[in-house]
Amino acid sequence: MKRIHCCVRLLLVAMVTLLLTGCWSSKEIEDLGLIVGTSLDLETGDVSSEEQQDARYANRQLLTITNQFVTSETTVSGTKEGALPEKAYKNVSETGDAVLPTLRNMLLKVDKRSFAEHSKVIIIGEELASNINLQQTLDFFLRELEIRPSGLLFIAQDQASQALETNEPTKIPAFQLVEMMEGHERTTKILPPMTVAKLEGKLYSDSSFLLQNVSTENGEVKFAGAAIIEGKTKKLRGFLNESDLEGIAWMSGDAKGGLVKGYDEKSGTPIVYEIISAKSKIIPHVKGEQISFTIKIQSEGRIAEHWVLSDKAFDNQFLKKAEKVFEKEIERLVRKALDKTQHEFQTDVSGFGNKLRIDYPKVWQKRKKEWDQTFSEVPITCEVNVSIKDYGTSGD
Amino acid sequence: MNSTLKDKITPSQAVVIIINYILATGILTLPRASVEKVKTPDVWISVFLGGVVAMIAGVIIVKLSQQYPDKTFYQYNQDIIGKWLGWFISACVIAYFFTISAFEVRIMAEVTSLFLLEGTPTWAIILPFLWVGLYLISGGINTIARLFEIIFPITFVIFLLVAFLSLGIFEIDNLRPVLGLGVVPMLKGIKTATLAFLGPEIMLLLVAFMYPSDKSKAVKVVLAGIAIPLLFYVITVVMVIGALSIEGVLTRTWPTIELMRSFEIPGLIFERFESFLLVIWIMQIFATFTITYYAASLGLAQLFKKNMHPFLYGLLPIIYIIAMTPKNINDLFTFGDKIGHAALILFGVVPITLLLISKLKGKKA
Repeated sequence: MKRIHCCVRLLLVAMVTLLLTGCWSSKEIEDLGLIVGTSLDLETGDVSSEEQQDARYANRQLLTITNQFVTSETTVSGTKEGALPEKAYKNVSETGDAVLPTLRNMLLKVDKRSFAEHSKVIIIGEELASNINLQQTLDFFLRELEIRPSGLLFIAQDQASQALETNEPTKIPAFQLVEMMEGHERTTKILPPMTVAKLEGKLYSDSSFLLQNVSTENGEVKFAGAAIIEGKTKKLRGFLNESDLEGIAWMSGDAKGGLVKGYDEKSGTPIVYEIISAKSKIIPHVKGEQISFTIKIQSEGRIAEHWVLSDKAFDNQFLKKAEKVFEKEIERLVRKALDKTQHEFQTDVSGFGNKLRIDYPKVWQKRKKEWDQTFSEVPITCEVNVSIKDYGTSGD
Repeated sequence: MNSTLKDKITPSQAVVIIINYILATGILTLPRASVEKVKTPDVWISVFLGGVVAMIAGVIIVKLSQQYPDKTFYQYNQDIIGKWLGWFISACVIAYFFTISAFEVRIMAEVTSLFLLEGTPTWAIILPFLWVGLYLISGGINTIARLFEIIFPITFVIFLLVAFLSLGIFEIDNLRPVLGLGVVPMLKGIKTATLAFLGPEIMLLLVAFMYPSDKSKAVKVVLAGIAIPLLFYVITVVMVIGALSIEGVLTRTWPTIELMRSFEIPGLIFERFESFLLVIWIMQIFATFTITYYAASLGLAQLFKKNMHPFLYGLLPIIYIIAMTPKNINDLFTFGDKIGHAALILFGVVPITLLLISKLKGKKA
């Protein structure tokens, strides 16, 4: 008995080692086309293939998908001669009425095996975002395993594919966008990054939200404000500009760093405030059917630049005066952003609904369906408190 | 050879066995399963209470086993309720054990083929897993316990590491308000949460394997064995919901892996951490698979009063076939729910009934 048992064990070990050799479906890196970014646009122009024309006749929307590939040939070290390739990337576009079949059609054009594990950005064109529900457009990206939920999402003014182009030979635009996003720590004009993972919660909770907007001018990619996605329709509602974003950042407490520029009352010369810390509290009040909000903003910072000749930073009077100036300026920014979101776009993108959900869950349950509508009518008061801690190396 | 009770384990080994048995599929699916029922951020409270319910059930099971300290459940239940009924209950428990073992194998195959071994045929994933398990079990309970003692610290350290790395995308607002809509939604999740704590039932057998001097510690063993997975589960649920929000969790098939895929930490040696989670998770699945497989074979051996080895080899193809039965992933999840419900009856209702009967009998005698 013991002998048999021993034999069986030996056999088991042998069989297991046979199956554990690995490399079952390995992919060589030289043969991969790494997708680092994807853009999606609405296609309105002429179409060529039969598949596309069929879709056109059936009145289905067509989208053009552009993938940015980085392959062993586009990178310098990959080329044997060591010669610099013209571009560090290769963009391939294809048109179709659903995402995956279109991507698969790219197989007809690309020699490398597409590999999306390192995809960093997804950019959606303005027209596509305002015509098709984002949940539908992005379904594939939320479902596909190869695409990581840590990728970032952008909206592009005009053509999204333009945002994946650059004139500089060594740059890869998709990576550039990711790196530019890190600037959000130092300015209030860039939104905190929206990853695919976070997007999901937003999409399914039917709340409105903002996506970073990218625009291209003369082949130069630039962050330009934010796009408002309406919660109910999940379509693009409109754009906020950079200074609106400043207001939004102050309201939602996302201001991690950045500047506030105010003007001295008497001389009209600029004084600049640099944020060290900023906190905001949105406090909902419910009285019967009446909902209102108070925003309390508290910030600490330093004077980073001032052109006022008559005053010195050593003087506390001046600091008090400057604090007043910044408080006013911040309030103005907040008011402006509120005015736009409440009245022009009638969407809540700065988390008022979320605060109501937390503090008055039962009221929220009743109101959440029509929240954007309700939000456009609620009174909001704003209190700003700025304190200046120091003024750098010059006391002048 | 192994069906006799010469093999002994220490209390700490028993604790580790319970922990490794409990931690399994739940880590990956509990956040979604419980949010589906609760629909408010209070899920973590449900999970906590689910653990408490499991502890109560665990204590009852231990009390029952302590009545017959030298026998396993399969042997003593016939003393309590007679030969035929006892035989029937033993058969049910055995069926439960090898079904759950098949379920774990299949879940493991699904997740691995989805996230790690795309393109590898399912049988090629399952077979080595089964064979390695067979190899381990043929060494008896002590061998299993020693392996579990190696697995557990690795799991513990890596799990805490990856869980806390995800703090970067954690938002406390996603977990608020606490009990905003009252306690009713939270109560709805307790059953689902309790089902994630399947495992204390192994004490029906383990008490017999503990050293005679340690048997009085069995209650403490089961409490510690449930408390640690409870901690793991609460951390998992809090982290996953904190990062992905209630709405985001609902639509994810494997929310915890999704959480690990949602962040990258540049600068560290590793940027991506889901493979770490999968590694410890597969070890945990292996642990659950082996202990249930062992429990089933032991049951058969004791039921027929034969050597364990033929049953060990005989069960292998059965486990394989059951594992391959569910047609798709939805079937698989429903299958899991059914096992859970069977467990509620087998290990919630039966032990307390048996305990009462044996107490009554004891008094008469």
